[in-house]
Amino acid sequence: MAQAAQPPSDQPPVVTCRDVTRQYIRGSKSKFANQPRPTVTALDSVSVDICPGEFVGIAGPSGSGKSTLLHLLAGLDTPTDGDVTLAGTSTIGLSEQRRARLRLEHVGIVFQHFYLLPSISARANVALPLVEYGIGRSTRREKATALLDQVGLEDRTTHKPGELSGGEQQRVAIARALVTDPEVLIADEPTGELDTETGEQIINALSASSSDRAVVVASHDERVLERTDRVIRLHDGRLVSDG
Amino acid sequence: MDSRHRYIGLLGIAVGRLVGRFRRGEGKQLAVSVLGVAIAIMLMVTVGGVALGLASQSAIQGDNVDYWIVPEDRTASSIAVSVDGPQLGGTHDITAELNTNPQIDYATPVLLRVVQLRAPASDTSEYIIVAGVVPDGGDREVLGVSTGALTPGDPFYANGTYDGRWTGEIVASEPAAELLSAEVGDSLTMPRQDSNRSLHVENISTGSYNTGAGPLPIVVLHQSELQAITGATDGDPADQILVSTKSSDVRPELESLYPQSTVVSKGGFAEQSVSTSSLPVAVALTAVLTAVVVGTLFVATMMGLELHADRQRLAVLSAIGYRMRSQAFLVVAETFILTGIGTFVGVGLGLTGIAATNALATRYLGVQSVAIFDPVLVLTAGAVAVVIAAAASIYPVWLTRRTDVLEVLG
Repeated sequence: MAQAAQPPSDQPPVVTCRDVTRQYIRGSKSKFANQPRPTVTALDSVSVDICPGEFVGIAGPSGSGKSTLLHLLAGLDTPTDGDVTLAGTSTIGLSEQRRARLRLEHVGIVFQHFYLLPSISARANVALPLVEYGIGRSTRREKATALLDQVGLEDRTTHKPGELSGGEQQRVAIARALVTDPEVLIADEPTGELDTETGEQIINALSASSSDRAVVVASHDERVLERTDRVIRLHDGRLVSDG
Repeated sequence: MDSRHRYIGLLGIAVGRLVGRFRRGEGKQLAVSVLGVAIAIMLMVTVGGVALGLASQSAIQGDNVDYWIVPEDRTASSIAVSVDGPQLGGTHDITAELNTNPQIDYATPVLLRVVQLRAPASDTSEYIIVAGVVPDGGDREVLGVSTGALTPGDPFYANGTYDGRWTGEIVASEPAAELLSAEVGDSLTMPRQDSNRSLHVENISTGSYNTGAGPLPIVVLHQSELQAITGATDGDPADQILVSTKSSDVRPELESLYPQSTVVSKGGFAEQSVSTSSLPVAVALTAVLTAVVVGTLFVATMMGLELHADRQRLAVLSAIGYRMRSQAFLVVAETFILTGIGTFVGVGLGLTGIAATNALATRYLGVQSVAIFDPVLVLTAGAVAVVIAAAASIYPVWLTRRTDVLEVLG
């Protein structure tokens, strides 16, 4: 079993994984009830702690379990075994309703493919989490505009995603992830669809946001990983190194 | 946190998404949903209009009529649309006897037939409802047509010999005159009757007889002449006898005239009218049920396809922390908005359908209004829309619950 790396800050971890294993059942249900269904172990007894202010990279080849670990850290998934604690709350046994609330209040997520809603403006996309929060329209617009200003898109607030470049869309996605001021920002291959220069801008934006929160980035790109404070390396679902 | 702000915001997202989909030309399934509801509501409004038209029908009557004597298995109101079946016999003698009763103001048999009449002046042939009566010279109305212009009595009957003076007089209602393009003084022939006798228009009555099919084309003439035209001279038949009286004491006498007849009073007639409204009610109910089923199936299927194509959106919302309740609200809001648009369009099309139905009825049936519009149709359409949207929401909400975030975004 791999040992959890020591957190570099004095603050308590905002995310803790303890002996986390995630297995997936492969294929459809067998016609024969007694026949066991094959399983795939995506993550095997991984333990990590992530503290506020850390900029953490997760590295590893395809199929190493990077995305699985990110999903567990974000509360999008629950482990088959072990425990994940997010902002002091264990995700084990939580209903999807409670995990959604946990994500809304404590986690911001940035996807490789941006996943912005194409029908609404950049500002409305950024403000989406605030709608679920039940915040009024004027406050939503104010906060979203400020975040877009922060990521350098003050002149793109009313543009639809289809009118923005890839880098601009990813910056809108980062603004959306930050609009609730989450304690953890999780990004899955955030530069995967961008050219080098634009990727650099995105990493700068993520790095800047790590001053007051934990930022976890899964990436193949060594240039991204070089910018992080710490890299968790996985191989075949196992923790290879953390530091 | 404020639920009101959340739901207003979600509504805004729903509207924004639908508008955006249409603007980007990606709203094919949404447009089909709207179209499905529009067609269902259009059919409901049009058929409902016809049902209201049927429900508004009045039955055969005259202004001063207080009693109707009809064969036992008929109702007074069924006679106008059914000219075959049990009839009363010896009607000239019976009504002559009734007219000698000082308590009875006026009594006349009524024989109804549908006859093809031809107006040589306009070279027009049409099927017209023809009523044979025995006028008394007063300004009586039968089926809304004044009999005042007809020679009093029934000269051609001649005590049952049918060889009296042939008057050939008819009074036509306005719809009948319009249909035949006939004017006062014009002659009419009967191309399908084996008769060389002719009729002439004595007067055109401004009154009209309305049924669910609107004002009907009717002409009134002497009963014996109609009997002769249609070959119904055996037994001196009529479909009913109308009796005008101020005394209810005559009822036992009326009831004793025919052993297998029914005497219907004005009050009883109103009750019969209510009972005959089961047809329009059935038509209206069928229209509503059809609209609900068709609309629900359309919307549920199209919204299901739409959600399947757009499940990434739901997965993203779920990933950033939207609860299932909020996602369901979004889906339900979109379903209601689409159904509302479809209903609005459908009501408009339904009104057009009513107008088109009436235009076709006027063109091919010679009646002016088969269907009528009433604000209650709009209210019903609104209620049906709510039922459609609520029922159709179940399937997309179920699909929403089944959306696997990791499968879609993973």
